[in-house]
Parts: sequence; structure tokens; C-alpha cells
Amino acid sequence: MADKQYDDGYMHYAFYSGCCFQGADARFFEILEKVFDKVDIKIHLIDDAVCCGAGVIEERSELTSLAINARNMAAAEKMGLPFYTPCSTCFNVISNVQKRLGEDKKLFKQVNEILAEDDMEYKGECKITHTLWMLAQDVGLEKLKERVTNPLNGLRVASYYGCHTRNPGDIQNYESSDNPTSLEDILKVLGVEIVDYDTRNDCCGYHLVWPNNKLSLKMTGDVLKGAQKKDVDLMVTSCPLCFKNLDGLQNKAVAATGGDFQLPVLFLPELVGLACGMSPQEMKLEWHGVPVNVRL
Amino acid sequence: MTEKITPVREKILSNIRIQRFTPGKDRSPYFDNFKMEVETGMTILEVLRHIKNTQDSSLTFRAFCRSSICGSCALRVNNKTVLACSTQLMPILKDFGKATVTITPMANLPIIRDLVVDIDPVIEKLAKMHPYLVENKDRVPETLEQESLMSQEELDAFGLMTDCILCGSCYSACSAVKADSNYAGPLTIAKAYRFSVDPRDDFRGMRFQAAMDQGLWSCVQCRKCIKVCPKDTRPADSIRDMRRISIDAGIHDSPGSRRAKAYTDDVERIGQVNKPMLPVIVHGTKGWAAIEAAEAGLRKHGMEPTRQVCSLPGQSGAAKIYAKVREIEGKKKGEKT
Repeated sequence: MADKQYDDGYMHYAFYSGCCFQGADARFFEILEKVFDKVDIKIHLIDDAVCCGAGVIEERSELTSLAINARNMAAAEKMGLPFYTPCSTCFNVISNVQKRLGEDKKLFKQVNEILAEDDMEYKGECKITHTLWMLAQDVGLEKLKERVTNPLNGLRVASYYGCHTRNPGDIQNYESSDNPTSLEDILKVLGVEIVDYDTRNDCCGYHLVWPNNKLSLKMTGDVLKGAQKKDVDLMVTSCPLCFKNLDGLQNKAVAATGGDFQLPVLFLPELVGLACGMSPQEMKLEWHGVPVNVRL
Repeated sequence: MTEKITPVREKILSNIRIQRFTPGKDRSPYFDNFKMEVETGMTILEVLRHIKNTQDSSLTFRAFCRSSICGSCALRVNNKTVLACSTQLMPILKDFGKATVTITPMANLPIIRDLVVDIDPVIEKLAKMHPYLVENKDRVPETLEQESLMSQEELDAFGLMTDCILCGSCYSACSAVKADSNYAGPLTIAKAYRFSVDPRDDFRGMRFQAAMDQGLWSCVQCRKCIKVCPKDTRPADSIRDMRRISIDAGIHDSPGSRRAKAYTDDVERIGQVNKPMLPVIVHGTKGWAAIEAAEAGLRKHGMEPTRQVCSLPGQSGAAKIYAKVREIEGKKKGEKT
């Protein structure tokens, strides 16, 4: 994966931040950089990018969504690096655009005519990836294991992918979408015990926060309840948007489903950082909505 | 030169774990385990038939055409909804790396017996969407001798959804139906869209109303329906399209439509969504409490909140793209009229 232009032993990626890391979540930029540094990865912000529209822009204009995301990929192509986004929805939306443009030559041509207005060209060469497969496949489990200095043995963890790296099945070809294992593979290397639970494959409802808040909270509450029933110490998700609901809206969501509990939720890079020897302060765990009061 | 194909026929001794339940007789669903040798190429339906013929004749499932067109054999294998007749078992055993596979009836629907569910709730919801054409007099000729011709582009707008076989797989996989049984489900809204963009139809307004009443904005876009649809009709895409044409028709008064407008306008204006102000944009003055709570949270951590996020460097380029797309879409609309 390491690009020819760099010869420093690091793997380099064009980093598409999306717009989920605003406000309090802006801390994740720094956290991602620090955690990746532990596993010899350098991320380079794609400066000339815009929000992917989270599929919502398609509710106004599909062509706009196709064109701005082709432009986002074109910006990464210019950098000559693989396109990395930590956000599962950005991954889903942009991969879908790549697939559509790959299958439809007429649309590919039309989108490039639009991009020409901005002197940009989408070549269709860009490889899109996500934290899951960077860690499980590019870094590899063996190397990751070497870098774990603080194995989190004995910790009972409920793993949660969320929907957008799994659905539809052809959105990625890194692993099986019906039976993905990358998240669990990474977590096992960190030393934790994986606990299976009923609501592991359910949707957290994040994308209903605005259109139907009540339903969104119920879905989040249901997912949490399933994990809590199995007496886990914490939940770990690879999706920063799921994290927003599962952690940030947890109190409301649990109340909406008639529950009364708190379950710490971590965003995957945070747990990787902790296992690689970084402190809870460095991972800024005090920013969580639900206190992370477990031994780490 | 012809090449002889010799398929590798593997055999795996498998444990088929099937959910059983007869309402009124059993207190709750339970599982029966059936051992059998699964061969390469064997479909789930063949496995079920084999078990019924050789091990337990009371096993109940529904199937008819064996050609993935009648839509009656949908069920779940390892929690994924599939058509039994068009899904082979061997690849699933290999994917999961286990000799045991679990077969359950479709989710979100009442069980009649074992793997047979009552599909009526889906059909009742569909019926409310007016799933039929109401004659558009401008397009449908008065005499039977004349044809109502349609361009390829017009057909493409809804062509995918005409392939729907009403199997209910998407309904079974739907995250929103699971959490809210009143929600219409993917195929019903997708069907409403299919008729609403048919140029021969003149009943769009009523379908907007029906879709809004049954949860047009309750779809979470988890994309599971796209994954399971055996006919690749992409229901979630049609739901997005239905939202779009409802907004285009002037229905702006829902939180979802206001979100769509905010996202679209913000990316053109600043390159990203101005999330701090979303509560007020979506919910009106009621949103102020949420903004103030979020701001208090930031101050607690020593961070000064903002109500206007910065403009991203890509914004100026994106704005050019928006303008060009608007020109193309405007042109297109012009062509139609």
C-alpha cells in the first residue's frame, strides 16, 4: 500500500474526514493520527474536499451527489494515495458513487464533464478503504499484535459494525459482508474477550436522528439493551456515527426503551490506542457521554 | 476448442438447525436439529425438501415456482433473508466456517407455522399506497388502437421496481420495521414511487400523502433491503427518490425534508453541513434547547462553541459543480415540458 513517493517505512493514505468530526468530535483527528502513528500509518488530509452529503443530498439531487463525490475521489487521486475515510457512511456513499460510475460509462462521462468546470478529472482509479481493513489487512494482525503493549485481557466486549460497511453486500470486497470478522479479529489481538449478542446486526438508527428522532432513539436503545443483557464491560464500534448515537444519545435512548443502565461505548481507534499504550487522557475518554469507568 | 467443465462436487455433513413453532400448540418457538449431507449446488429449498421427505414430514415451509419468481419461499438463513429456491447452502457453510446453519422464518411478520409467515400485513400496507396507475389523460390515448409510448429514459426512472416479486425479503430485513411495526417498509414505498413516476399516471399527490402517513421519513437508509432483494430492485434508492419527488412537488414541511435542504444548501455554501444549527433548522424554535445543551457540553470541556462552522477549501470547486448540475437538471426539466 505504501506509495512510491514515500520511503519512510510508513503506509500513507489520503484522509477524507467527512463532516462527522465537528464540535466535540473534532478530537478524533488528533486521536486517529496518534493511533495510526503507533502502527506505522500516516494520514494526509484531503484538503480540497467537501462533505459527501451522507446520502441526504441524493434526496434533492442524485447528480449533485455523484459529482461532488467524484470530485472528492479526484482530489485523492491527485495525491496518488488510497482514499481513507474513518466514517462508515462516507465509505458507503463514496464507494456507491465509485461503483455507479464504474458501471455506467455514460454517467462517468457526464460527471467528468461537470468536473471539468472545476478543472478536475475523476479517473476511477482510487482505492477506498476504512479503518477496519487498514488495521486488519494493511497493517495486519501480526504487526498490530507486536504493537500492543497493554493487552486488555479479561475485558468483555460487544463488537458493533453498524450498517454502512456491510450493506449492500457489494459495497466492499475486503471481506464477507454476511459474516464480517475484521472488527473481531482486531479486538482479539487487543486481548479482549468478544461476547456475542442478539442485536449485533441491528441498525443503531443514527440517520433517523433528524427525520424521526423517536424511532432513532428506540433503535439505539434496542441495540444497547441487547449488549447490556450479556453483561459486557463495554461496546466497541468501528463507525463514528454509530458512536454518536450509542454514546452521545445513550441516556435518552435507554430511557426511550424503558431501560436503566449505562454501558460505556468506545470508537475502535480509541481502544486500539489504549491497547498500544496510550493513556485514557490521550484518548480523551473524559469527553464521552457515558463515563468509561472500566479498567483499561 | 471446447473445454470440459468438471464441477467439484463437495459434500459436508451438516447440522441444519430449523426454527419450529405452531401457534396455539407451542408456547414459544424452538429449534430442531437435522443432520444431513449437503452437496455442492444444493439449494436451501432442496435441503428443506430432503428433510421433509426423509426425516420429519411435519416440517412446514412455503415454496412453489423454484425459479425465484413467485416469491413465496423467502426465509432467513443465518439471519439473512433469502429466497430458499435460489440460494445455495454450500457457500454459506463456507462463509461462516461452520457445519451448522440456522434457518428461521422471515422477521417482522407473524408466524403461521414453522417457516411460514403471514405476508398480509405487507400487502395491506401496500394497498394503502395506491399501487396502480390512474390514467393520465395527456399520455394515455383515448382509443385502444393507439399506443401509449414511453421513452427509454422514462422507463429507466422506475424500471427496477417493476421487477419486484412481493416476496417480502426487504420487509423482513428492514431495520425501521423492526423498531416500528407501523412503518410501511421498503417495498411499499418503492412501489408507490414506481407508480408515481410512471408518465401514464396522474395520482402522485395521493401517493405522497399515503407515503408520508406510513413513514416516508422513517427509512433509516441502512441499505439492508438492497442487500437482500433477490431481484436487485434497490428499494432504499427508490425511497430516496420518493423523498426527492415529494420535495420537488413542494412538500417541505417535514423534519426530513428540512434536513435534505440544509445538507444540500450547506455543502454548496460552506462545503460541509453546519451541524451546530441543525436542531433549529430541522425542528424550528423547539431546537434551541438542543443547541444550548450542546453548547453547555462543549464549555464544560473548555471549548468555545460556534454556530457557524468554517468553510472547507473544496467549497468553491463544489459550488461550480452545483451550478453546472443545476444547469443540466434545469435543461432536462425544460426538455420534458
